[in-house]
Amino acid sequence: MSTSAETDSGRQRIRAVLRSQEGIVLLLAAAAFVLFSVLLPSFLSPGNLLALVRSVSILGILALGMALVVIARGIDVSMIAVMVVSVSWAFVITRAGYPFELALLIGAGFALLAGIAIGALIAFGEVPPIFATLAAGSVIYGTGRTFFFTLEMQNVPPDTDWFRLIGQGSLFGIPVTIVAFAILCVVVQLVLSRTRFGWTIYAMGNNPNAARITGLPVRPMIVAQYAISALIAYGAGLILASSASAINARLFNSTMIYDILLVVVLGGIGLNGGHGSVRNVVLGTVFVGILLNGMTILNIDYTIQNLVKGVVLLLAIVIDSIVNPRDEQTSQQGDL
Amino acid sequence: MSETIVEFRNATKAFRDVPAFQNVNFTLRRGEVHALLGENGAGKSTLTKVLAGLYPLTSGEMLVEGTPRSFGSPAEALSHGVAMVFQETNLIPSMTVAQNLFLGEEKFFNRLRGINIKAQQQLQRLSFHVEPTALVSSLGAAKKQMVEIARAVQRQARIFVFDEPTATLTPEEKQHFFALVERLKREGHSIIFISHALEEALALADRISILRDGALVVTDDAANFSRDRIIQAMVGRQLKDELYGTAGARKGRPAGAKVLALENVSMGKAVRSATLSVFAGQVTGMFGLVGAGRTEMMKIAAGVLKRNIFHGGRIRLHGRSVRFSVPRAAVGRGIAYITEDRKLDGIFDTMGIAENIFFGRLAKGANPVSVVTMAQARRDAADWIEKLAIRTIRRNAKVVELSGGNQQKVVIAKSLIQAPEIIIFDEPTRGVDVGAIAEIHATIQRLADAGAAVVVISSYLPEILAISDRVLVARQGRIVEEMAIEEASEEKIMYAAVH
Repeated sequence: MSTSAETDSGRQRIRAVLRSQEGIVLLLAAAAFVLFSVLLPSFLSPGNLLALVRSVSILGILALGMALVVIARGIDVSMIAVMVVSVSWAFVITRAGYPFELALLIGAGFALLAGIAIGALIAFGEVPPIFATLAAGSVIYGTGRTFFFTLEMQNVPPDTDWFRLIGQGSLFGIPVTIVAFAILCVVVQLVLSRTRFGWTIYAMGNNPNAARITGLPVRPMIVAQYAISALIAYGAGLILASSASAINARLFNSTMIYDILLVVVLGGIGLNGGHGSVRNVVLGTVFVGILLNGMTILNIDYTIQNLVKGVVLLLAIVIDSIVNPRDEQTSQQGDL
Repeated sequence: MSETIVEFRNATKAFRDVPAFQNVNFTLRRGEVHALLGENGAGKSTLTKVLAGLYPLTSGEMLVEGTPRSFGSPAEALSHGVAMVFQETNLIPSMTVAQNLFLGEEKFFNRLRGINIKAQQQLQRLSFHVEPTALVSSLGAAKKQMVEIARAVQRQARIFVFDEPTATLTPEEKQHFFALVERLKREGHSIIFISHALEEALALADRISILRDGALVVTDDAANFSRDRIIQAMVGRQLKDELYGTAGARKGRPAGAKVLALENVSMGKAVRSATLSVFAGQVTGMFGLVGAGRTEMMKIAAGVLKRNIFHGGRIRLHGRSVRFSVPRAAVGRGIAYITEDRKLDGIFDTMGIAENIFFGRLAKGANPVSVVTMAQARRDAADWIEKLAIRTIRRNAKVVELSGGNQQKVVIAKSLIQAPEIIIFDEPTRGVDVGAIAEIHATIQRLADAGAAVVVISSYLPEILAISDRVLVARQGRIVEEMAIEEASEEKIMYAAVH
């Protein structure tokens, strides 16, 4: 009796997963993986798979920072600006004769300050996050290009061999980039599920008014979130620069920020906050990675790649709202 | 006159197997004013919402003008002549009265002047004194209601449903509203109105129906009703006396130390130089009509709202002047504000009971990286779940799935876990089932017995009289009357509260 009941509940759980957006994305990812494996002989080679994971690791790291903010019902579209400006500036300072390590610290300091300033704008100025970060992104980028550096491309300074290892070296045969992504995943997951900080993030995303009245430190938390996402962006920028031997400020004008949002939303972290975890980020990252890698091998035009990404995002959202409709009871306000 | 225009036959509406009303047979005659009375949660609102197309019936039939109908939306209901005027109006504040009147009926090209003239004619025909070019945001509650009614008339509505139409009106505005209902009736319209004010129902209605716990108890001509008979039908087995005791029979607790004092506190137009004191070891009841500023006064004390920077008055906690800029500061000093609107700022709806309660404790701590686990949350919350008798079928149920009473208990537990000295309950039993009301009242009494300073804001006089040791009456942003429970009565309190 009990075993049949258990398998029943197990089956129910599987069904529940498949009916959620996560399940749908998982299925889509698997489908894309199989499709590309069959169509493209080079897709399944270990070299390509490693390259695939490595290339999306940076996206994944950025998405982890974004996820922290999005779960708390915010959004940070200034991440790329912070990333390119702080990393470029660190390189420029090194070329001007400062020690490389000190320059990296200064870059980190800049990213931290930018994050705190944005967070303060949102927490104390009560500016909606989308506008605050959109505007702040432009200001940071403009400031950087005007006062810190003029060249778009900033090469990694010479004589910094250990730095190149981050993006190009490997640990036990696994590229350092992937290791970094994995470690950050574990850290963020622990923070979200096991610390006061993480729990408060969920509370703020679920009901910011209730969080405030309960006495949770809503404003300091907002500042902290944006500071952390800026630092994560800086870290991702360093890895990116290390693997490409340079950082290109033009990334600010690319679709990278939308790719990050794509990962976060596709993975199942709703933009209305309060739910989602690292699992969702990993799922989104893997799916977007397969998609981008496959399309690149297929030599699909960049514009069409963007079109595909957009369509996939729309599909995920639409299917989610069909499979999980808002029911009468939750949409109903208050009394009977 | 006796022709039936709306009829419910064996109508039942259930939300997830929980019936809001069951097997209701209700008729509305053409040209009558029909009052629908009952306690909170009796099913009045749901019944009228079915008529207005917000919900479908679960079973049974609804006949409008003789044909069975099921409206999918308020717009569809309106196209069949049914208009519902909500407690919160559905007007667009940034548009003018005239634009609102013709909202949704605009032609491709609109002439503002033409609309204004047409609106003027319409309003004059109904003799509503509203300026068609005024912005809706500049109107008072009663005028907004007029615009809403005019809009319904404009759409050829024949059946009007009012949900608590007079709750937000001043006495003068109420007179306007009564005249308006008379006028609609004379023109042959049929009217259902939901009210908590029995006198209004007796004065205005032709017939009265009373719902109790989802069942229609009685329908009769208003002439055959008295206040007593209505109350009896509403509460059934004399429950009211059981719940609220007999007013005035109790002796209040003596006042302890003065822990909280507001001195000439002002905030915008809502609170104007309010002065009051709260003492430890007793329950201070606060009564006032809508707009009296009671909630705002207490929210200022709890740091939820900020008083004026200049001439904002003083708040003293244990004699020391304080100014809280965020609720967190007040929580840290032992003040808990338990909200009147659970949905808005009380519960974390998709989280479990234990997490919800545990957030109260989390808020008291400071170290952001300290470790918390689900097991810890469950352990901490278990105590309070038991103390407040929070009942659920599944242990890990989401709070949104609980009944109103249990949700309220969760919100209370979330604050009590912080061990506050001053506890402010804002409408603690609003939308709460009868059984839970008694339990919440018992909790409030226990807190006061244990020495806490308790403030209970309530709009329901029997509740104020049943649980307070001292009664404060607010009117127009001030405290205008203070009385000990021994000398308080419904009449006295109400006399102080009205203008």
